[in-house]
Amino acid sequence: MDDKLNVKMKIMIVDDEVDLEPMIRQKFRKQIRDGVYDFVFAHNGLEALAKLIEQPEIRLILSDINMPEMDGLTLLSKLKELKSPWLKTVIVSAYGDMENIRTAMNRGAFDFLTKPISFDDLEITINKTIEEITMIWKSMQEHDQLISIQQDLQTAREIQQAILPKTFPPFPNRNEFSIFASMTPAKEVGGDFFDFFLIDKDRLGFVIGDVSGKGVSAAIFMAVSRTLIRATGIKGISTEECMSYVNKLLCSESVSCMFVTVFYGILSTSTGEIEYVNAGHNPPYVLSGNSINRVDMTGGIILGCIDDFNYSSKKLKLNPGDSLFLFTDGVTEAINRNDEMYGEESLIAFLKEYSSHPIEEVVKESNLSVTRFSDGTPQSDDITLLAVRYHGLL
Amino acid sequence: MNVKITTLPDYTLLIIEGRVDTTNAAGLEKTMMEAIDGGCTRIVLDCTGLNYISSSGLRVFLVIQKKMISIKGHFNLCNLQPGIKEIFDISGFSSIFSLFADKEAAIIG
Repeated sequence: MDDKLNVKMKIMIVDDEVDLEPMIRQKFRKQIRDGVYDFVFAHNGLEALAKLIEQPEIRLILSDINMPEMDGLTLLSKLKELKSPWLKTVIVSAYGDMENIRTAMNRGAFDFLTKPISFDDLEITINKTIEEITMIWKSMQEHDQLISIQQDLQTAREIQQAILPKTFPPFPNRNEFSIFASMTPAKEVGGDFFDFFLIDKDRLGFVIGDVSGKGVSAAIFMAVSRTLIRATGIKGISTEECMSYVNKLLCSESVSCMFVTVFYGILSTSTGEIEYVNAGHNPPYVLSGNSINRVDMTGGIILGCIDDFNYSSKKLKLNPGDSLFLFTDGVTEAINRNDEMYGEESLIAFLKEYSSHPIEEVVKESNLSVTRFSDGTPQSDDITLLAVRYHGLL
Repeated sequence: MNVKITTLPDYTLLIIEGRVDTTNAAGLEKTMMEAIDGGCTRIVLDCTGLNYISSSGLRVFLVIQKKMISIKGHFNLCNLQPGIKEIFDISGFSSIFSLFADKEAAIIG
């Protein structure tokens, strides 16, 4: 975008009468001295085009019609080909020459003046045209800013997707467990996240979270939450210590009460035992053959609300073949055309059918099940799924 | 979402009906903050007709609760539908909000 417009806007007068230049300079000497107007003169259409290339800050052209080499009407046609939204031409014609005036207007002239030129009228016309050009320029600039914001959002989406694990299987050398996850944001960027990391040889940390609200603010809070949990969890402290610590940090960061629901668990890869804290997140399900059981709550409040809250943990045990299925409310609250929610019942029914399928399929098919249910109704919340299966020591 | 505010001598009665989600949470926050800025220190929120609340909606409730605590006021909720009560239980909100079975109890509480 040419932002020189505000600084300097040149006006080009195209006329084969050489007397015109001193006359204009004399009439508008004050405005020229004050830097309000800056004039350029050309004596035919060809010269005008050449000057336009030399001096792209020319925004307004006042052109005569009858000139040697290239006349004003031909010049208009050439200017039209440039398709510059903020280059405006005012045509100057003989009084009563309606035919040429019509032709000029049809070729894209912005306005016309008639000879003999009244300098008052000329000044009004120049000012009016400059106003129009400025308005177009401003709206073009706003349009460009909008495009740039959209590009920023796209970049934010890429960054957000990039900080989530995306290589599956993530630990190809580990046979005691398998893990799969996906996050589908509703807008360009989302507030959901998942993560997992090996704390040591025997312990796998895994987490799912949902930040209040959506869009850029949620995405930033999500990135902070995810990073804090990973950095704290990977030290190997208990889930309750980790959540209490991260909560304290998020409370000090939390602007206007943003918060995040989190389920954080640590799986012992040698025993199948999971120690976990549920900080206000939808309770996950344990899949054990045909039985689908909700994981007990731990009484934890969502992170980022009460800074001295003490989180407590619970334990559960996965037997070889069992899985833990975690999700965000974007799954159960997905709606269809009749405004009905997917709901826990549909999810449980789905899990009953798929609980023995490979973990990757459970996640992918679950996504498809929600998509089929929504049947084209736009997704209103991020949809995130994470599933861990314990295979036992082989 | 439908919000009805009635200022009574002892308390401000708020009735919310429908869904509180991303699309209307900001408006609700503004309405409630204006009531508090207008001097109300006791809000009774009747949730009989509230059938859905998203995380953005919960955030508004949290903002109001924190504000009320800071001015030593009361923010009493009543008649939560089972689905909404469950969301409060899961999120841990039940432990930081004053929930009442009915309006009469909320007015006294």
